[in-house]
Amino acid sequence: MAEVTVGGLRFHVQRLGPEGGVPVVFLHGLIMDNLSSWFFTAAPKVAAQQPVLLYDLRGHGKSERPATGYGVPDMVADLCGILDESLPADQRVELVGNSFGGLLALAFALARPERVRGLCLVDGQVHDEAFGPEMEASLGLEGRERDEMIARSFKDWLGRHSERKRNRLARNASELVHGTSLVRDIAHSAPPSAEDVGRVSCPVLALYGEHSDVRERGEDLAARLPNAQLEIIEGCTHSLLWEQTAQLEQRVLAWVGREPGPGEED
Amino acid sequence: MSDTLQTVGRMIQEVIGDDWDLDQAITTETSFGDDLELESIEFVSLAEALKEEYGAEVDFVGWLSTKELDEIIKLKVGDVVEFIDLCRSSN
Repeated sequence: MAEVTVGGLRFHVQRLGPEGGVPVVFLHGLIMDNLSSWFFTAAPKVAAQQPVLLYDLRGHGKSERPATGYGVPDMVADLCGILDESLPADQRVELVGNSFGGLLALAFALARPERVRGLCLVDGQVHDEAFGPEMEASLGLEGRERDEMIARSFKDWLGRHSERKRNRLARNASELVHGTSLVRDIAHSAPPSAEDVGRVSCPVLALYGEHSDVRERGEDLAARLPNAQLEIIEGCTHSLLWEQTAQLEQRVLAWVGREPGPGEED
Repeated sequence: MSDTLQTVGRMIQEVIGDDWDLDQAITTETSFGDDLELESIEFVSLAEALKEEYGAEVDFVGWLSTKELDEIIKLKVGDVVEFIDLCRSSN
């Protein structure tokens, strides 16, 4: 397995595509997700035109699962470390984040603006004051209620599953939620201020599902970002990556391959 | 059984590891999703194993880039074997 070690933790990474060009880094969602959701959708298509870097967030997929250290700043530091290990120090990247991956992409752009050429948020979670408490409430459930929530939210691209596989996946998710400090750490990560968000000057494409429960906050976020363009994908929910896969892939492909804007350099 | 099928079958068993059902025979008709219940992250490991085995000769990711998600979900072992044989015969 291809790995990069950052801060003593092993991360599962996949690098695809050519050597030259602006690298595109894909970020996946929380708990049930891992790099495979991008590996089997937009990543190979983007890799046909420019370099691609995928990795499993700490605790997810095949990356190491420490007991603690899951705050947003920790995950930003992970991404910094992985880029430092994988790319030249001055190489700017395009970040494409799904759900929590979108939140992380924006946090990274705030922490390391010199590293970011552009962002694409795919129904990106919005880190406002309500995000932490809401997440803690939905993932902090116990017993049967918790298992039902995990079963409901579970979506693997391979679709149908036997009881055995479903249980295995739910158990894995449950271990992440209850065996680590992930929920507490993310819930207690300080959201960026309005001034911070106003400082993100790179181009941002914000894609939200028409019926997504995050849409309103996504629209608000896009309005506060100085250089964002908002697009609503008709008929979709928060799972737009799975509901309009081909359309989304085309949109991402065009976005990350766009020409530099006036005054921009690659 | 063709050599390629045998190689791919061995890789699948390695990827699935301890969860492998010893009674399960892998044929060209075996599907990754419905039959093997391969998790998507395990399928990534299989792609990596293919790259290690065949190198640049077999561009599995390039092949995936030509496919829609629905097609990938329905892939059978025989589709991958056929693709590998095609790449190797044209080189």
